[in-house]
Amino acid sequence: MGRQRVDGQTCFVLHHHPYSETSLIIDVFSRDHGRLPLLARGARRPRSAMRGMLMAFQPLELGWFGGGEVRTLAKAEWLGGMPLLSGRCLMLGYYLNELLVKLLPREDAHAALFDTYFAALSALAQGGADAPELRRFEISLLRELGYGLTLDVDADSGEPVQTSADYAFVLERGPVQKVGAGDTALEQGLRGKTLIDMAADDYSDPRTRLESKILMRRLLAHHLGGQPLQARRVFMELQEL
Amino acid sequence: MIESLRCLPGVGPKSAQRMAYHLLQRDRRGAERLGQAITEALQHLRHCTQCNNFTEAEVCERCLSARRDHSLLCIVEMPIDLNSMEQTHAFSGLYYVLMGRLSPLDGIGPKELAFERLIQRATDGEVKEVILATNFTNEGEATAHYLSETLHARGLKVSRIARGLPVGGELEYTDAATVAQALLERRDYQ
Ligand SMILES: [Zn+2]
Repeated sequence: MGRQRVDGQTCFVLHHHPYSETSLIIDVFSRDHGRLPLLARGARRPRSAMRGMLMAFQPLELGWFGGGEVRTLAKAEWLGGMPLLSGRCLMLGYYLNELLVKLLPREDAHAALFDTYFAALSALAQGGADAPELRRFEISLLRELGYGLTLDVDADSGEPVQTSADYAFVLERGPVQKVGAGDTALEQGLRGKTLIDMAADDYSDPRTRLESKILMRRLLAHHLGGQPLQARRVFMELQEL
Repeated sequence: MIESLRCLPGVGPKSAQRMAYHLLQRDRRGAERLGQAITEALQHLRHCTQCNNFTEAEVCERCLSARRDHSLLCIVEMPIDLNSMEQTHAFSGLYYVLMGRLSPLDGIGPKELAFERLIQRATDGEVKEVILATNFTNEGEATAHYLSETLHARGLKVSRIARGLPVGGELEYTDAATVAQALLERRDYQ
């Protein structure tokens, strides 16, 4: 017991599930300690000060103690400043959380990814243009996980990607210039410009936005190893209502 | 039997033991009635075709009542939420109980919640206004948002219960999140 006491951590709750009659286990993403589960004792009691506060998509300052796999939440404070997500933006928030829950190993600090996640949520909370933030988050996630995502160097030749050429993205390797037309019929169109734009973090071109979305979806599906994303399925079903 | 009693919420091993001894030693008649009641409820309990709440009939009493306003339909997540609404004595319309809420990370979507059934119920021609009384959690908000869109598109008037400070609430004792949201959703005051 008391192996470690951590205080004043900026965190987001990614997911939660009930534990016993009155408690909650929260899956937390903290800036300096990565993702970890915390037991929130009594958080489901009617008059618990934490009840209602431990919600996703809101920056919180948490403190915890204990050793073992599940630490005990000791303190929670509402940091505020982030409007509640709603509608489509809320569903995109669930998508980000599901990616973190499924891909981020526990107790690995990823401060840069945390900051990108924070920025993506802020953009979603403002309800504004979200494509750049989502792509930035996805790219940051794959890079932080050590999948070494190379965008602007041809994996075959080692040469910089050219704006006007067409590329195929080979999983685990990177972009390879297409020689001739349609040698990989299954491959979606991927312009050199899209790859260069992504590397430069520039999403002003609508085609870059479309092609980068398709590319990232394919890369994430690969790293998810066939696990379906529930948030995406639910989102699609809701659009069809 | 002690093991079985422990499936009740808030019943640990000690209270389960106490209950079992009480039923078997002091109140065998009561134990018999309880056993019968549980068996009967399990056999006859089903969902009301109108409000989806638990009932023993095909349509529950509340849905059949002529004293209720059949043009108002209030959507809640769980039967316990319906009870809370009823305790206000402020609502005379009918209900629909979703038996859950959207929860994308748990794979709970519109199919799992049978939105189709609710849409059918709300568009039966009698209902004019739908009141969304799902919880003010992310999940409750997501549920309210999509129900609002789809019911609105079908020509229904849709409203959402308001959120804010509790009656008799003082700012000093209200959590920051509630105050922040109340500020954001402030309205004209005269
Ligand atoms: Zn009914």
